[in-house]
Amino acid sequence: MAQSLSGDTSRLSILAGAQAGVSEEDARILRGLRAGIEEAYEELIERYEQPVYGMVYRLLGNQSDASDVVQEVFLKVFRGVNSFREQSSLRTWIYRIAVNEAHNHRRWFARHCRHEVSMTDGRAEHGGSLEYAPDRGLSPFEQTLEGEHRTLIEHALTKINPAFQTAVVLRDIQNLSYEEIAEILQVSLGTVKSRILRGREALRCELTHRPDTGLAEAMA
Amino acid sequence: MNCRSAKRGHNCVDEIVRDGELSQFEAHQLECESCELQSSDLRAIRSALQMLPPASPPKDLRTRLRVTASQERRLLLEEDGSRLLRFCRRWKFRLNEMMRPFTIPATGGLASSFVLFSALAFTILSSTTGVAYEVPVLGAGGINANLVPVELRSAVVLSMSLDWNGRITNYVVRDGSGSFVGNPNRLESNNISLPEIPSVLAMAQPVSSDIRISLTPIVYRQ
Repeated sequence: MAQSLSGDTSRLSILAGAQAGVSEEDARILRGLRAGIEEAYEELIERYEQPVYGMVYRLLGNQSDASDVVQEVFLKVFRGVNSFREQSSLRTWIYRIAVNEAHNHRRWFARHCRHEVSMTDGRAEHGGSLEYAPDRGLSPFEQTLEGEHRTLIEHALTKINPAFQTAVVLRDIQNLSYEEIAEILQVSLGTVKSRILRGREALRCELTHRPDTGLAEAMA
Repeated sequence: MNCRSAKRGHNCVDEIVRDGELSQFEAHQLECESCELQSSDLRAIRSALQMLPPASPPKDLRTRLRVTASQERRLLLEEDGSRLLRFCRRWKFRLNEMMRPFTIPATGGLASSFVLFSALAFTILSSTTGVAYEVPVLGAGGINANLVPVELRSAVVLSMSLDWNGRITNYVVRDGSGSFVGNPNRLESNNISLPEIPSVLAMAQPVSSDIRISLTPIVYRQ
């Protein structure tokens, strides 16, 4: 449930756990990358492959595009590690690159491939929902229902304004703090809050305006 | 608190509200059913988003990333701390990124210009081949087999045609009142002698095989 805060918005960062500069762990990885130590590269991939992929996939909604973008992101990280000034955390820096790359890719896609039609829909391409749906002891009916709900949400997420979508994905799916999101998107804290709120509102509209279902049914 | 200001209170679904705002918002919710419904909807959306399972990367992505890492590491070790090499590499990378969209148009442009220039070069070559002649006009003081039998009374105009080898095929000399049409077969050598006119060999390299020269004898000039 909600809890109140006293004081100005700068205190939000304390609650959210945002920190300026790199942690000791990040600094160790960065030193390793700059020295060309193989383990550092491996550790970076190990730590950030899944979260970066997850975020890019949610932003683009396509598995193969997300893979390409993630590879491009890591390439830029490897090449830009010497110019990283360590004024933000490593995670924030990588996420910023990922968000920018995803936006670039989306712009490129909108310009060049908007008339192309995919031979497979998103779910089929992802190898089916069972691949990433953990077995929580649900009955087949419940699993199907959960899959339907997930599809509704994912579909609605791809329909909203990209600026709002990015903010919502970073906050509600990646669980980043407001400060970190502001740093990644390079906008003010107020703008982040506004975008998240408007993104959720847009999602709500997208879900409730469906002719065959209401939000209560979708979320039940 | 009214519905408009309550909108800001929807941040409470995120557990981020200021002091006093929460109680005001909760009080408003008790009175306003639509705000209460909206707030519960937003909570439901947030929890649904948080419950989305993490997307698993495809199995080949790890391999691709390792290959990329290996290549980059090798390049880094090759640089061996050289700032110049790093600088060159960075700019090469940027240039490649920048020029990538222009690759196809530039290649097309280059190819088309090459084709057009080739066609043009062929035309230029064909029009200039074999037209580097020396104008075969000689001055003659005495009797000469090629001497044109005219008595010069004014300026003369010599017109002649040459073949591709520079041989005279036709010639005519006109002065103020009369003209002489020469027979090129009777010429002993490939030149024409005009009385009282000095040699004008190698005057020019005409661009046509039909030549027309206007000459003024020295006596008339004086």
